[in-house]
Amino acid sequence: MVAQELEEAPKKPGPGSKSDGPGLNILVGKARQVIQEAIVDPVTYLANWGRLYSLWPVHLETACCSIEWGAVSGPRFDAERYGILEAFGSLRQCDLIVVHGTVTRKMAPRLRWIYDQMPEPKWVIAMGACSITGGVYFDSYNVLPGVDQLVPVDVYVPGCPPRPEELIDAFVLLQDKIRKSNIR
Amino acid sequence: MSGAQAKQEPSPRAHELVNSLNSTFGQMVSVTVLRPNRIRVQTDRANLRALATFARDMLHFDHCTNVSGTDFPKDKQIQIDYHLGSIDGEDLRSVILGLTCRVPSDDAKLPSLIEIFPSVDLHERETYEMLGVTFEGHPELARLLLPEDWSDIPPMLKAYRLPGRLEGE
Repeated sequence: MVAQELEEAPKKPGPGSKSDGPGLNILVGKARQVIQEAIVDPVTYLANWGRLYSLWPVHLETACCSIEWGAVSGPRFDAERYGILEAFGSLRQCDLIVVHGTVTRKMAPRLRWIYDQMPEPKWVIAMGACSITGGVYFDSYNVLPGVDQLVPVDVYVPGCPPRPEELIDAFVLLQDKIRKSNIR
Repeated sequence: MSGAQAKQEPSPRAHELVNSLNSTFGQMVSVTVLRPNRIRVQTDRANLRALATFARDMLHFDHCTNVSGTDFPKDKQIQIDYHLGSIDGEDLRSVILGLTCRVPSDDAKLPSLIEIFPSVDLHERETYEMLGVTFEGHPELARLLLPEDWSDIPPMLKAYRLPGRLEGE
């Protein structure tokens, strides 16, 4: 039964595709959207709902952006409000990598190795200028010019380093992406 | 080369060191005072170990803080610098003694100072992979910082070119 619905899932209109009319009360609009999604494709809705609020990032800190990441996890910015909790256990329980800054040539195989060990589904956020383009180390002999040739990046967060608010915004963007995606 | 440097008056303690070095080694070294407490001793690789042993036993420089190198492609030479410091000698704590040695690029070999100063271990390994200088007598001259699959020439040589964007320049 479930497998059948899984196969049918991509044909149905994706959740969140309906837009609320202008003038509607936001709460009423949200309730309508949720009910619609839940009725049209309950399996996708439930799976996405479960993934949304349990994003566990890998504890992998490659460079100085991890200081900002520490602030995000800390009580002042508190990303746990959004369902992002840094996992200190096994990376096989994680589903999100936040690439904190510079990735060197020597670190690159390790990053890919960690990415390959994570179970599906998994997402990647490239944080900071260095992980997007190489940053100030662009012409260096041992720094990758961007991690997107190594792992598939979902959200880019520019900045050197990005403010914690920008990283939280990236989490919200990623949750939006998950909410609108079909389950595989 | 030492003549081109702007010479300064050494501090009294550094003056003693310069006199001691000059009287012991004579023509084998050229001593330059770069700053009042900074002495550079240039020598060749045959005398390097003797000079380092003398600096440790007689001048009481008990540790080596840094080993670095510079490539001089016009002279076809690589210059290796050892920076010595002292903890035990109270009046020596502000003095830096630099041992400088130039080796030809096509025969870049130096005797390792690891038996005299054990702290040069990682520095010599780094210099080995970044400049391609072999330190003879080092027990574990293996790759330290570069990726394991590094197959290019050592990256701190001036002849090194970045693959990709700047390749043609």
